[in-house]
Amino acid sequence: MMEELAKVPWAVIAPLIVVQIILMIVALVDLRKIHATNGPKILWVFLIIFTNIVGTIAYFIVGRKQ
Amino acid sequence: MRGFTVLLQKEFREAWRSWKFLWIPLVFALLGMTDPLTNYYMMDILNAVGNLPEGFEMLMPELMPADLLYASIGQFQTIGLLVFMATFVGAVSKERASGMATLLYVRPISFGAYFMSKFVVMSTIGFVSILAGFAASVYYTVILFGTFEIGPLVASFITYFSWLLFVIAVTLMMSATFKTVVATTCAFAVIFIGQILDTLVGAFWTISPWKLPLYGVQLIRGTMEMPDYWWSLSLTLVITIICVSLGILTMKKNASTTKI
Repeated sequence: MMEELAKVPWAVIAPLIVVQIILMIVALVDLRKIHATNGPKILWVFLIIFTNIVGTIAYFIVGRKQ
Repeated sequence: MRGFTVLLQKEFREAWRSWKFLWIPLVFALLGMTDPLTNYYMMDILNAVGNLPEGFEMLMPELMPADLLYASIGQFQTIGLLVFMATFVGAVSKERASGMATLLYVRPISFGAYFMSKFVVMSTIGFVSILAGFAASVYYTVILFGTFEIGPLVASFITYFSWLLFVIAVTLMMSATFKTVVATTCAFAVIFIGQILDTLVGAFWTISPWKLPLYGVQLIRGTMEMPDYWWSLSLTLVITIICVSLGILTMKKNASTTKI
């Protein structure tokens, strides 16, 4: 298991994962602070966590209530 | 340009509070990363999920760095612009519909200043976004494929930014002219159907704003006919200025339709 993990070219993959995680965290922090969303909040939590980038984009475009 | 700086600060604060300065660049960075990575690992991906028959062999094309940048720009052109325009198409029309605009329109502000403050903020976000996108794409291309010359790369970036200014101007003008739904339809039609038409029958002309992203890549490849390039660039800038002026006019005209 550890050997296989060591074989992954982390220098190449790491930035991709880091950017995705930052995006997810930003969306979750915003979701925590915002007063109300379009649709139930818990739905957005699941969408953001499980559909990595699509859910996040959808949340920022249609999920936030002004 | 009464109150331009105040309005600019207001727009910047609003964009900052809704995280637009953070998430749009990140999305563009992700889009920029995708293409160099998938192309580099294409063989592994096919082996892992492709369900290939025994003894299957495939000849991969030898990709130049410019090809990968072009692929990334293709991502920006579809998904990137979709996200960007969907975020900003309500900039003026949504404020009218929600009654926010009433609070501003009763004050002695100039519509030119208000429109331009929105335009400047959108261009700044656009600039940061494509900077992140280009940086991610170039970073991976340099690591995995080969290097760029810095001069043509910057030229290509500036060319893409001029195209983005055109997109922003069209989006804002539609937003100032119509309600949000109609504005979305019209802006998407101009940008995306324009792109499709330009690919389908674009061989008959060489000067058009929709060709600018491709021309930016051709600058790197060194196969660009310079007169075509300069004419396209000037045409794009002229249309941008016309769109901005029209937007200011229609914004003033539609000020009475705001909800009170």
